[in-house]
Amino acid sequence: MSIVANLPRRTLSLSEEEAARPVAMHLTGRQRLSSEERTLSEKIFEEFRSDPRHHEFVLGCLNCGECTTGCPAARFYDFSPREMLQIAANGDATTLWDAMQEKIWACCQCYTCNMRCRFGNDIAGIISVMRELSVYHGLEATRRTLAPFGRSLTLLMTVGTQVSSDMIQPDFFRDWGPFATGSDKVWQVGADVMRRAIPTDVLQTTRSAWEVSVQTSLELFRIYEETGVLDMLRGLDPDLTEMLVDIIEERREEFQEARERFADEIAGMKGPVATFQG
Amino acid sequence: MNPILVLGAGPAGLSAASELASLGAPTILVERESFLGGNPIRWHYSLLAPDLKPAEEVIGALVKKVQADARIERHLSTTLEKAEVGAKGYRVTLKTADTSEIRDVSAVVLATGFDHFDSRRKYEYGYGRFPDVIDFKEFELMLHENKVVRPSDGRVPQRIAWILCVGSRDVQVGNPWCCRLGCAVSIKQAVEVRQKHPEVDAYVYYMDIRTYGLWEDLYWKSMQEYGVKFIRGRIGAVTPAEGGGRLLATGEDTILSRPTEVPFDMIVLASGMEPSAGTKQVAALFGVPVGPEGFLTPQLTDLNPVDSGLPGLFLAGAATGPKAIPDAVTEGMGAALRAFQYARS
Amino acid sequence: MLTANEIRKVVAERTAHQRGTGKKVVDVREEMEHLEEKGEIIIHRIRAVNRPVELHTLFGWTKQIPTDRLWHHKSCGQCGNIPGYPSSLLWLMNETGRTYLNEPHQTSCTAWNYHGTATSNPVALAAVAARNFHRAYETDHFPLIHCGTSYGDYKEMRKLLVENATVRTKVRDVLRKMGRDLVIPEEIVHYSEWVHAMTPELVARQKLPLSGVIATVHEPCHYYKMVPEDAVYDEAVYSGQRPAVPSGILMALGATVADYSTWYDCCGFGFRHILSEREFSRSFANLRKIRPMIEEAHADVAITSDTGCVTTLDKSQWIGKTHGLEYMLPVLSDVQFAALALGAHPYKIAQVHWHSSSAERLMTKMGIDWQAAKAEFREYLKALQSGAQPELLHPAHGEIEKFFAINKGQVLPDEAVTPAAPTATSGAGPGGRS
Repeated sequence: MSIVANLPRRTLSLSEEEAARPVAMHLTGRQRLSSEERTLSEKIFEEFRSDPRHHEFVLGCLNCGECTTGCPAARFYDFSPREMLQIAANGDATTLWDAMQEKIWACCQCYTCNMRCRFGNDIAGIISVMRELSVYHGLEATRRTLAPFGRSLTLLMTVGTQVSSDMIQPDFFRDWGPFATGSDKVWQVGADVMRRAIPTDVLQTTRSAWEVSVQTSLELFRIYEETGVLDMLRGLDPDLTEMLVDIIEERREEFQEARERFADEIAGMKGPVATFQG
Repeated sequence: MNPILVLGAGPAGLSAASELASLGAPTILVERESFLGGNPIRWHYSLLAPDLKPAEEVIGALVKKVQADARIERHLSTTLEKAEVGAKGYRVTLKTADTSEIRDVSAVVLATGFDHFDSRRKYEYGYGRFPDVIDFKEFELMLHENKVVRPSDGRVPQRIAWILCVGSRDVQVGNPWCCRLGCAVSIKQAVEVRQKHPEVDAYVYYMDIRTYGLWEDLYWKSMQEYGVKFIRGRIGAVTPAEGGGRLLATGEDTILSRPTEVPFDMIVLASGMEPSAGTKQVAALFGVPVGPEGFLTPQLTDLNPVDSGLPGLFLAGAATGPKAIPDAVTEGMGAALRAFQYARS
Repeated sequence: MLTANEIRKVVAERTAHQRGTGKKVVDVREEMEHLEEKGEIIIHRIRAVNRPVELHTLFGWTKQIPTDRLWHHKSCGQCGNIPGYPSSLLWLMNETGRTYLNEPHQTSCTAWNYHGTATSNPVALAAVAARNFHRAYETDHFPLIHCGTSYGDYKEMRKLLVENATVRTKVRDVLRKMGRDLVIPEEIVHYSEWVHAMTPELVARQKLPLSGVIATVHEPCHYYKMVPEDAVYDEAVYSGQRPAVPSGILMALGATVADYSTWYDCCGFGFRHILSEREFSRSFANLRKIRPMIEEAHADVAITSDTGCVTTLDKSQWIGKTHGLEYMLPVLSDVQFAALALGAHPYKIAQVHWHSSSAERLMTKMGIDWQAAKAEFREYLKALQSGAQPELLHPAHGEIEKFFAINKGQVLPDEAVTPAAPTATSGAGPGGRS
């Protein structure tokens, strides 16, 4: 029998058995993956294809390349929104797995591809779906990519703002020049005084983008607990997640103490301020 | 028999009027422009694909035939203002700048055609911003006058790009249909340039090449005999090239999967076809059903593409969708026959 | 150029087409009315007290822009990096006699995080949006969104909440557990739309003529590329072919708004990139945006209306000199620029000193005595250092507000138009379907 007849087609219709044959493994690149990775990639692929957003975001593709032309990331990275869309529309578990290692993180989420796409695809949106899955399954490459974000994740989870002025340290942001950090010698005062010179009290903090009340951050954390975000984060970074839970626990205690302290003021009030228990 | 009204004097309308006259029917031909011939004459098309015969020669023959026929009453610079259903046929009001005339007609052929897409709506190509980005109908005029020069400085261009599907196959501008002719016309233009100026580099940026049927020959020859270059992928941005003077066309070569950035002296946009203002107007006046694209919808697109389904109302040419001249002429003949049968019955 | 009416026709046809081909472009605001009738949501209405002004969006739809009694939805990037941005906006509101709340009881939209690191999901994003919507509602102040991404995200979340019953139910459940309810504002309003609506009043208070100033506009992607049908367009601005904001106010103030070929390109922010891939952000910002602005348009200033864009375009230039790119084009938000034109203090209010690309040359051109202002500001800083109280645009918040989102005696859900109780099929309530 001719060897050509035995060659598997690289399609989605390969059964598990077919896909496990050596020739198929070679042609689809799956021999690079460990058996655990193969299993996980199949699972991710299934979840990806069955996400309701897949049907809504991926409509078809003329391969015109306009998305890639307008893409800022494509200009500087080995990345192409067209390729991502092709993988989303016609790819298999291996191509999706490969794309989810690094490429999806090149995307700027600027939505220029969406605005350009003559077919009306939501390319930035489908890339986000891939990213969510890569976080949820705690892929190693994702952990590496997001490693520098521990600080902003902490801020985000605890007070719901990402950038605080004390993150913009001269050491790490030397390329932004002396003015961005409020540390310029011209003014001869510290960054805290520079913050106090902002004419609104809510912004006179260096620890988060603005002062966030304890109730607000507890409400936010409640949302994260209830909507699975905390579980997602646990998959990515269990240590960080435990630390966040501790921080929030402290804030809950702080909140309860304040509740007693301000009992009289709150007594006559209605709405969440009266009912929210932290 | 009351006369039969033909609306529009492009290839389809001229063909219908000329056939009706030859059948012996009194015919009124109404055209909103001041001349006969439609878009090919209006925009001074040069050679016509695929046989590369001059447009003036092809359309000119039809125009002469209509002009020479005393049975055809010609109304130029005239529009239809009103249409009411009559006892048989329609009572219509024909309007010029200073006159208004009511006529009873036994049947109507709608041959109101298409308009070229306004390429300013695809701002990333810089049409309307850079003088050297032009529309392919403007390039037809250059070819027609044998003056292929850059509008900005009058120099002969050294490298020209054609961008296909501008305002076609694109939901972002609301035009998802194919114009059917952009490929052939652009390739024809590239061939025409290379015939006259072999030193000019010609690049065609495409998604698919749709030189359907026998027109494929033009596509092959353009590569084999005229060295036209084809790059699969769209240009997505046109910016001034460094060093001044030229335009940098940026895109993705989707076959080689790599970015492409080429400086051009001139960029020609194959702007798509949309239902003309006249087509939209008659659709509303006569209540002809239109599809989501805005073109008139025949009653049976397969078995009877020239019947509107409304009594005494027949359709021909690009009013029902993008069409090449030979097809428009054929439909004009078909619509003439159906209108004549109706008027006589 | 096409005329504005032709453009309207084009977009109307596009809408009709997109409806015809099943691609959803429906006016979610109509759907919201149905949902409110069914008792599924509460619409936070724009009322006379908000002094609304009517503007138009891409599809020619009308959009009410409240101009008074506003709830400031601050931006997480803005407040850290460009404090002059919110300060200038608050200052303009004080100047024009508008009231507002600028509270600590607000989280960011958290979409920075979603677009940067994906450590969130649409249900969480929708719940965060709805939480902030409800807070604005219970204070009876209409939300005004500072950030382009928050604006884009909230429009997406509004769509999601309206179109997806499962998400709606889930979010309502979560909110009820914290004593809140599902409120969606009648309009999602970006602060630049407020500026556009306020143009006549702002121009009337203009102190400095700007005829000699050439400005280039960077249009924030998330303002008009996300849920594009809700962005504001105006026939008087580029014949309605580009978003009206922030170009409109610049033209009205008499600046020359100059065009450049890459106006529709992104700035290079990229969410994650601006922190951990800055080589990318600055390359893109300098090569694709700043350079064309300088070389094609000879700009004196770049103006934009989003936090991330100001940050990227501004902070990326300083390091450019290592590659011979010494542009140092000042980058300001529209409100900073407008505040300067209306006579705001460049350091105390516009806070231009946080910007990496110096605004001094621009201020000279605008006729501002910035040396004097700088000396004054230095004195002010010294005073602050010795314990003086800062000058504030609005009263400071009390100690209690560090902890509690206190009720200020405004409308509460049970006092407002009471919606019918949700039906069992809508799955409302903790015991409902999710």
